[in-house]
Amino acid sequence: MSASGPSSVPTVGYRIPSLGYRILAGGLRLLPLLVLLVGLPDAIVPFVEAHGIHVPVSIFTLSIAGIAIAVLSTARYVLKPTRAYGPLSMAVSGVTIAYLLSLYLIGTFVFDLPGHSIALGIGVAGLLGLLLVVPGIALVSGLVTTVEDLHSPGERLPFDYPL
Amino acid sequence: MSLPVYPPFRHPPALYRLARAFRRISLVVLVLILLFLGTALYSAVEVLRSGPSTGPFTAGFGPNDTVAVSGSLNFSNPGFYPISAFSVHLRVVNASHVYLGEGSFGPVDLPNGATQPITITFYLPVSSTGPGGSLLTEDQTLNVSVWGNATYAYLFPISISVETNKSWGAPFADLSIGVGTPVASGAGAVVPVTIQFQNHAKFAEAGELNFALVPLGGPSCGSGSFDLAVPPGGQFDQTTNVPISSGCSPSGGSLEAVYVGNGGTIPLPPQRIP
Repeated sequence: MSASGPSSVPTVGYRIPSLGYRILAGGLRLLPLLVLLVGLPDAIVPFVEAHGIHVPVSIFTLSIAGIAIAVLSTARYVLKPTRAYGPLSMAVSGVTIAYLLSLYLIGTFVFDLPGHSIALGIGVAGLLGLLLVVPGIALVSGLVTTVEDLHSPGERLPFDYPL
Repeated sequence: MSLPVYPPFRHPPALYRLARAFRRISLVVLVLILLFLGTALYSAVEVLRSGPSTGPFTAGFGPNDTVAVSGSLNFSNPGFYPISAFSVHLRVVNASHVYLGEGSFGPVDLPNGATQPITITFYLPVSSTGPGGSLLTEDQTLNVSVWGNATYAYLFPISISVETNKSWGAPFADLSIGVGTPVASGAGAVVPVTIQFQNHAKFAEAGELNFALVPLGGPSCGSGSFDLAVPPGGQFDQTTNVPISSGCSPSGGSLEAVYVGNGGTIPLPPQRIP
């Protein structure tokens, strides 16, 4: 194989951002995650319940799950250069799966419209079952990364942090 | 921690590529699901905005001592996704929660862009001996339960139930009779019989009201009939002289009437003769 061949061209190296930078960037990344996973559900549920529609999931549960996913996701980002990245990826996926499963078990949301003798039921199990595919695949990805880090520590860093 | 030194590669190692592929697949799946969810929500709003348009509502006497009530509506699906296994059921009970009748429609599939006419016909038993006998002569409030099921956009089973009260106008409301004193007529006697009622139903009565005067424990001692043509909201008040058998006194007995018309034969509740 020629030294000038495409597969033998040496990489020019990589640069891992400092821990401080990663914490700062992770913190900035955490804010929209918290808005999406905690703020939004916590705003929607009281709004809906103020209109007399009962949501069979407590704000506490939604908040805890949202905080757990957001914090784990941020920790994964900060610790991406380390061997903890793979297990943390799996943890994020695992918590997300548990979160979706808890909603999946509810299955059907029944809304009693206030002021009317009308009950509306919407089954969400199918959608949640489909959504479970996403963290399921991400879980496998985290597993592969964990195996890679165990087998060849630091091997992925030039590709995760290219110059 | 010092990491081992690997020879430089232009292409990522296999495990890295595998993990990256899984990450990308999960992202693509998530985006596709969100796109599906967005379009499904948009379509659902379009379906709700289009709303069903109600068609004609009819009622009338039906076969086997019933009143047939039929309602229709047009349901359209302007969204992107089909509505499958769409069915509607209806159940009617009276104020005492006695079951009177039910009807159903479907299940049918409603493809996107289609409009489906829905007709539900149900029969209320108005036999004087059945649970709905009072429907003939008493205005009342009926409890109507309607529930429907469907699956929207392949993934979302939807159920809706509505409970409502409907006022029922009796076709022979405030039915009353008057039987006068027998008067000699030729070889026998006649008795004046008066029947009064109001038609509170939403349909006209056209036909005959046949009746018999039945004394206590005895066979009929006279019969007669009225021609009926009473519009909705109309009143009937007529008297006719009925020949009765010699020596027969209907006093203390009952007047048994049968309405024949509108395709049905409906016995009315017996009325006691004072």
